[in-house]
Amino acid sequence: MTQPIWGPVQQDMSDILQRHPDDVPGVVDQLAELQKVLCRVPPLLDSNPVADFNKLYLTITENVLERLYAGKFKDPGFLSRLDVEFAARYFDALRYWTECSASCPGVWAGLFSRVPGPDPRPLPSAVAGVNAHINFDLPFALVTTFDHLGSDPIDGSDQHHDYLQVNDIFAEEIPGLRRGYLDRWQLLIDTMNGDLDDWWQGEMVEYTRNVAWRNAQKIWAIRHDMIALDKERRRLDNTATGLGKLLLSPFGGFLQ
Amino acid sequence: MAGLGDEGPLVGRTGTLADMQSYLRNVGPGGTSAVFVTGESGVGKSRLLRETADALRGGGFAVLFGTCLDIGDASPLHPVLQALRRHDDSTRSTAADDAGALLERVSHDLRAIAGDQQLLLVLDDLQWADRSTRQLLLYLLAGLGDVRVSVLAAIRAEALHGTHPLRRVLAELRRLRSVRVVDLAPLDQEQTHELVAAIVGRTPAVEDADRVFKRSGGNPFVVEELSRDLRDGRVELSDTLREIFLSRVDELPPKAHTVVHAIAAGVEPIHHSVLARVVPFDEDQLIEAVRAAVTHRFVASDGDGYKLRHRLVAEVLEQEVLPAEAASLHRRYAEALESFEGEPDNARLAFHWQRAGEPGRALDPVVAAAHAAERMYGFTEAHRYWTIALQLSTETDPRRTELLGSAAESAHHCGEHLLALARLEELAGRPDAPGQSDVHLRRARYLAAAGRSATAEVEYQRALEAPDCTPRRRASAAAYLAELLLHLGRYADANQHAREALELAAVNGATTDLVRASAALGFSAAFREDPDAGLAVIRHAVEIAERSGHPDDLGVAYLHLAELLTGPLNSIEEGVLVARRGAEQLAARGVGRTYQTRLLAIAAKGLFRTGQWAEASAVLETAMRHRPSGADAVELLLSRSQLWVGFGEVDHARRDLDAIATLLAGGGARHVLPMLTLRAGLAMWQGEYADARAAVQRGVTETRSDDLVLLGVLAWHGLRAEAQAHVAGQPVDPGAVRRLRTVMDRLVKGVVDAPPAVRAVVDGYLDLCTAELSRVEDRHDPEPWARAAAIWDRRQQPYPAAYARLRHAEASLQRRVRRTAAINGLRQAYATAQAMGAKPFANEIAGVAQRFRIALGDGDPAAAAVVEQAAGELAALTGREREVLAAVAEGLTNREIGELLFISERTVGVHLGHIFDKLQVRSRVQASRVFLTAA
Repeated sequence: MTQPIWGPVQQDMSDILQRHPDDVPGVVDQLAELQKVLCRVPPLLDSNPVADFNKLYLTITENVLERLYAGKFKDPGFLSRLDVEFAARYFDALRYWTECSASCPGVWAGLFSRVPGPDPRPLPSAVAGVNAHINFDLPFALVTTFDHLGSDPIDGSDQHHDYLQVNDIFAEEIPGLRRGYLDRWQLLIDTMNGDLDDWWQGEMVEYTRNVAWRNAQKIWAIRHDMIALDKERRRLDNTATGLGKLLLSPFGGFLQ
Repeated sequence: MAGLGDEGPLVGRTGTLADMQSYLRNVGPGGTSAVFVTGESGVGKSRLLRETADALRGGGFAVLFGTCLDIGDASPLHPVLQALRRHDDSTRSTAADDAGALLERVSHDLRAIAGDQQLLLVLDDLQWADRSTRQLLLYLLAGLGDVRVSVLAAIRAEALHGTHPLRRVLAELRRLRSVRVVDLAPLDQEQTHELVAAIVGRTPAVEDADRVFKRSGGNPFVVEELSRDLRDGRVELSDTLREIFLSRVDELPPKAHTVVHAIAAGVEPIHHSVLARVVPFDEDQLIEAVRAAVTHRFVASDGDGYKLRHRLVAEVLEQEVLPAEAASLHRRYAEALESFEGEPDNARLAFHWQRAGEPGRALDPVVAAAHAAERMYGFTEAHRYWTIALQLSTETDPRRTELLGSAAESAHHCGEHLLALARLEELAGRPDAPGQSDVHLRRARYLAAAGRSATAEVEYQRALEAPDCTPRRRASAAAYLAELLLHLGRYADANQHAREALELAAVNGATTDLVRASAALGFSAAFREDPDAGLAVIRHAVEIAERSGHPDDLGVAYLHLAELLTGPLNSIEEGVLVARRGAEQLAARGVGRTYQTRLLAIAAKGLFRTGQWAEASAVLETAMRHRPSGADAVELLLSRSQLWVGFGEVDHARRDLDAIATLLAGGGARHVLPMLTLRAGLAMWQGEYADARAAVQRGVTETRSDDLVLLGVLAWHGLRAEAQAHVAGQPVDPGAVRRLRTVMDRLVKGVVDAPPAVRAVVDGYLDLCTAELSRVEDRHDPEPWARAAAIWDRRQQPYPAAYARLRHAEASLQRRVRRTAAINGLRQAYATAQAMGAKPFANEIAGVAQRFRIALGDGDPAAAAVVEQAAGELAALTGREREVLAAVAEGLTNREIGELLFISERTVGVHLGHIFDKLQVRSRVQASRVFLTAA
């Protein structure tokens, strides 16, 4: 505990995380800043698992921002707030971790604790981050956003439609990144497998994101009951932590 | 939360303490400030609150202290009312006519306590605050209560993890300079050593101090407890806080042990008289037991009663009590509370009966608490009580039907549409359910509120077709349905149902339905380009409402008329008159405060658009005297900051914009865009183009796609900022321009299906956008500016018209074409700006005039005289006549003018006759010439 958790970039991390971006361009900036610093964390430097996830998240958020500017969402106000709320939870988790606070959610702690090594494969790392972010953070971010806007999570609403559009972005980004990570023997396997595992990963995001929407509806109903809410939060954290462990275990290497 | 006195020294917080005091003193433009302290349990938030309050008390601050309750269903405004009661013991009446009046009453009490000092309102455990309290805080921080208040509040970090509403509120408030969020971190190793040494009274062995640091994680509360063990030579067997405290509980004398457990089960603070009825001791024994509990540092006592020294202790002890023990303690609490005279604290009573395993006895207090919350307009709190009541009652309970009805309605009131629908389903399935038509009508209303228009429409139809539907209910359902269809833009269907509703209501309906149906009919007719018929219907509704005299009817009818006139019909001047007359009518009867405020808001907006800014300012001042809250307050503040931006009153504008941001932290996304537009406008006048750009770009990502008018204004501001930056020699952001072009494309596409009134306004902004683009691209094209000026003249909005005229003149002068016309245009724009009091705009014009060496006033008397004469002639015309003349000058035929202005061809002829008389001309050409000389 006497050693700074991010080693030589401790101060940089701490400074970046003091900021609380409040719009989507701000989130993109913050992720870009983080990416620069994360790539300098020894010993793995730019191949540490948080950097892998952060890179994916940055790409996805840039894509969301472009779509916002292009007016592709039905309710951009909703989506912007969701994006900011969603990112805030990742930044919070990083901040808690940076301060050695016990408040850091277990699922994130699982990923962050792998920064010093051993080096997991980049793809499972990124997917482990996606797992934490979608299975744990997203339902809460959704509920907070709806609460703020004074509307409910209704299936088939404009907001649901916009929310599902983000699935498309994940589907677009993950196969691309997937190929970016390949080395030779994996290329062979990939050729043999064809698009199968692209499909599998695309499904995973879509599947978990729909689960997140359902979970948000569940939390929505109990959001005034602090005790029930806390219980639900722990339940989600535990489930996601288990899945995250699996992804970061040698088994996760099979993904890649 | 922690105990008083007998505390360790404050270590590692000196800097924080000083910062907090300076933040609280450093009030924002509205005279308010706030510090929110967050951190985990035991990190020392409450301590810091007390130390700060002590340091500020007397030094220009009056201090009030309140604590929120953790029973999750406290009564509305609990902590603030408690703080007021602590200050002086008198019971304050909290009854009020409406939610706004209640806020004002509380503010009044706070003002009285503050006197001429700044009020420091300290609130501990804010994470447990109810919704009403959060709204009150935002109301006070926005300066609406007219109390110079500094809020100092503590929030447990643990609470902010999930979906706590404060999360979002804090995220929004962080943007303001007058609000600080202090994240209190645990102590570091060095600070922990210092604290250990201070408590132990000597320098401890390094390994001891390190052990304390490791075990406590730097949490000061835990450090203190561990250090005391170290000092007292207690053997450390324990690793967790839980074990530390349990070993201490064992050391308590038996009676003190009982007292500590009793307090742990209660709702703090627990008054002595209550405790005396809960534990089976006589007075002397009780006092001795409490004293022992205090000495052993478990219990603290202050003026309000007893509480455990720290919440962490309470959490440890709660788990130690057997379920049966706990139930019996809760029963005794409930009985004790009931045994006192007068109205019991229903929230607490219900809490205890529930936990005593007596749901039946909890039901009455819960229902009472729900009614009490409704009386205080705490609809969210009321809804929570109704929900608990449902949990307490069984399927077979005869009261369940009634409870379901109340629960559904309260859920609808506080925006829980899904829950409202779920409750209604259960209600419909009961044997003693209300009739079919009633259920369909309610379901339809809830669905419509939830935004599910298609299903809502089907339900309204079912209500209309239900065999048990009375004529009165049919009128009601048809009126609602017409309103819904109007929102969906299906004017023909809306028209038909509104007619049906009107016929039914005329024979056998409530005035409310009559007014609702008339409004739907009026608007649908106006949108179907039959404005005269629409207007007639709504005017008739106003007459009916005037006869009924009911404030709601009167308010709604006047609102509809004023909105129709200032909106789709663009008869702004008449709309303003109607709005003001409505407000006066209501004021004369002393009713309908909310409606008066809304009517005045419409009047002020209209006056702003027609350039009568001084008058608009006066109207807003009157409206603000009604002390509006919530969305009404936001509307008024937006109008007022619009004026401040126009007048160039920077500080005032900042104050109001900050107040709006504060209120919006509690929700209200649809107002974000106008706020950002105004921020951009203000930044531009100050030459801060990057800020303006940032505000606009944020807005672009936050608008609903169908807010075409708002989006139009925003896009114009964005392009204007780029153009201004370019002219000022600063870089243009090509990315921003590209995105704004995309927005323009969206507008062009979206406007095709929009109603004509919306289309006209959006076209006006699109012209301004195109014109600004020509500036960005250095094309200096006067043409688009001329078009924009004409369109805004026709809309009777002198501000954008004069702006377009300025740019038109500038471009012409740059290209060295039609210099005389340019000079005239410049002078006219200047005169308009002067008349409105638009200082920054007038300066901008003067700057352009200077650049091209043009005298704006006396320097060139001949030209000025011509303009003045022409302008003088035009002054004799009414607003409508000027509109007609502007259209004539554009070369439109009477028929085209009629279509444009929603009037018949014959009326255009009548107007023309008057215009010829007043201008003493004989032909359209002559009339056009007079107009163009002036314009």
